[in-house]
Amino acid sequence: MLKQVVMYALLAAALASPLPASAQGKDALVVDLPNDAATLDPHVQWDTDSYTIYRNIFDNLVTRDPSGKIVPQIATAWRYTNDTTIEFDIRSGVTFHDGSPLTPADVAFSINRIINPAFKSPQLSQFDQIVSAEARGDKVVMTTKTPYPALMAQLVKLSIVPKAVVEKVGDQSFNQNPVGSGPYRLAAWQKGVQTALEANDRYWGGKPPFKSVTFRVVPDVATRVADLRTGRADIVRQLGPDEATALKSESQLQVLAGPTERIGYMFINAQSGPTADVRVRRAIAQAIDQKAIIEALLQGYGDPVNIVLTPANFGYVSDVPGYEFNLAKAKALVKEAGAEGASLTFLTSPAYDRRVVEALQQMVQEIGLKVEIVALDHPTFLRRRQGRPDEAGSLSLGRWSCACQDADGVIFPLFRTGSIWAKYSNPAFDDAVDNARKILDEKQRLAFYRKAFEILREDVPGIGIYQDYAIYGARKELQWKPTPNEAFFIMDMKWGK
Amino acid sequence: MAGYAFWRLVQAAIAVFGVMTIVFVIMRLAGDPTLLLVPEGATREHIEALRHELGFDRPIAVQYVAYLADVLRLDFGQSVVQRLPATAILASRLPYTLELALGASAIALLVGIPAGVAMAVWRGGALERLLATFVVTGQSMPTFLSGILLILVFGVLLGWLPTSGSGGLSSLVLPSIALGALSMATFARMARIAVVDELSKDYVRAARARGLSQGAVVVRHVLRNAAVPVVTIAALEFGNLLAGAVIVETVFAWPGIGQLAIQSIQSRDFVVVQVVVLFVSVIYVAMSLLADLAYAWLDPRIRLHG
Repeated sequence: MLKQVVMYALLAAALASPLPASAQGKDALVVDLPNDAATLDPHVQWDTDSYTIYRNIFDNLVTRDPSGKIVPQIATAWRYTNDTTIEFDIRSGVTFHDGSPLTPADVAFSINRIINPAFKSPQLSQFDQIVSAEARGDKVVMTTKTPYPALMAQLVKLSIVPKAVVEKVGDQSFNQNPVGSGPYRLAAWQKGVQTALEANDRYWGGKPPFKSVTFRVVPDVATRVADLRTGRADIVRQLGPDEATALKSESQLQVLAGPTERIGYMFINAQSGPTADVRVRRAIAQAIDQKAIIEALLQGYGDPVNIVLTPANFGYVSDVPGYEFNLAKAKALVKEAGAEGASLTFLTSPAYDRRVVEALQQMVQEIGLKVEIVALDHPTFLRRRQGRPDEAGSLSLGRWSCACQDADGVIFPLFRTGSIWAKYSNPAFDDAVDNARKILDEKQRLAFYRKAFEILREDVPGIGIYQDYAIYGARKELQWKPTPNEAFFIMDMKWGK
Repeated sequence: MAGYAFWRLVQAAIAVFGVMTIVFVIMRLAGDPTLLLVPEGATREHIEALRHELGFDRPIAVQYVAYLADVLRLDFGQSVVQRLPATAILASRLPYTLELALGASAIALLVGIPAGVAMAVWRGGALERLLATFVVTGQSMPTFLSGILLILVFGVLLGWLPTSGSGGLSSLVLPSIALGALSMATFARMARIAVVDELSKDYVRAARARGLSQGAVVVRHVLRNAAVPVVTIAALEFGNLLAGAVIVETVFAWPGIGQLAIQSIQSRDFVVVQVVVLFVSVIYVAMSLLADLAYAWLDPRIRLHG
């Protein structure tokens, strides 16, 4: 706490001083990331820093436009031939960085590579509904195990790699020297230090906006801000609300922030302890002041939500009402349940913002319940939270993203009976989410999700608290808008005035 | 001397073995690493499959024996996250840590020892009080604070030195100061005590009686005798500087093994964490062994009675 106070005080002092002229040329973009890419092989790791870099080296099968709609990239069009077979037209005239053309065979290879259990991709669970892919002429035909409505949402993340190169150099070498078809090629990767990319001037999608882009590894947020202020970096990823607020007053810098598909929510154990009584859960839901958390702790870098899903996801329904913040009603419910003075445990780990945890603790204590915070290391937290209901604690915080922008990746793993995260079971809810993952028709799917969220609203196995923001700091001249899927696509950026 | 060295070597080996065991046990006590490696939405089946793949479903004794066998064969495993040999990852970061430790040692020795000697020679004066303030500041300022402060003053406000990163001597200066400050204070205090101690001895009085100046006595006789404790401390301090740079490396974006440790913990790369911890312990044990041997070599009483 003291450390934070001191750092922000110093930060504020530094921000009050004049900004030195930037040393960066207009042709080069320097990006500070909190971490290095874990892998540049796009079929292995899927963390934000890795993706931020390799998104620019590779093209994806499909992508999302700024409004979130799935639009062509390497696939120019697609159609279902039956409920489990989908056919993609593959763009012609695309070449990899080594000069070889991108063919349907490369697309089929990429899909079959990531779903191959022997390849052990950490992303396998996102693609394991795909049975196979096959190149047929200028098309690729993909089959799924069952009708799988989230398929296109998952394929937004599928990078296309060159079959010939991967087979020739092997997986490990390809990870070190990736070859893609994207707007930038890898120039040099100093592991743990920086990654340099250079423009691919033959990119089919147009001329890349900067000749070179360097991603530096700068773990400390105060140092990233210092880099921005001295012109050592043009854009930095992952600021906290405090740093963002401090940067706002800076005339030559700007905060680029936008809502993501990540949902901040509170889990409430519906199967064990005092919260097994639905009245206690409803009381807790009415005790949470979303607005206070968003304004005071997130400083506005979060949006209120009515359900455990963000508007950036398919399946979001705006007309299922959230819970009314009403302490009197909440207290009455606790009394009615005979739960006054009951002891709840709030499990947490260093992965979660302690301030939010403490704020929630106080809010729940307001209505006559006792809340004890149990701070655990993250593996122990996960073991208990995913384990038996009586070990999972009464409450815990979560920040959930499926990186697929679909309700199926959120409320199915969180609340479906039998899922490791669910401490809740309702056959009607199970029915709704099971059906929603088996049919392709969007209207019918949405109807099932509406039903699912209506059930969740009554049963309260968890409550949505806020839609998380991605916060970047950048030089004022940089024009770019962050997207909900946190894709750092440099083609979307440019220098303005 | 040989017998003493052999005995200390055996002790060192036992210490390293103990550390290996503790690292192993702690990694298992902290819970199942499999849970950290899978994406949030993974199903029970995926977790089971990966657990089997990584061998965490075997009895802990079997895992321990397999781990010891691997370590003896110098096989430290492959990073599950980066898909590279863990030792290769460690090796790529080592030069940076070494560079920073040398930079910090230079600051510590070149500032600390003259400061300590000056404090001893002119003790009680205004200079000693001034230097004492300096030393206490170096000793008591936490590195997360001094690091940020240095960045803000010399990087942001004055613009003299780079705010972060590695490359060239200029980027080495600030992290070396931040890291070396504590050791500098240690050397200053050690040097001061050793010199004060020597100055009160008879040979000093005798030398002064022969008409030698205070300066000549200090330079010709006192420093040599006072060097013994300082030299042995230096080895330990160097071990400290190699191992203790986690915060400084993080603040200055310096890509050494301290930063690697933090990054590996955050990315849940337990194989790399294990290797880093083991490496740091071996360095520490080796440095204290070196210090003991140097001490024994410089002072025969130790090897006779030890």
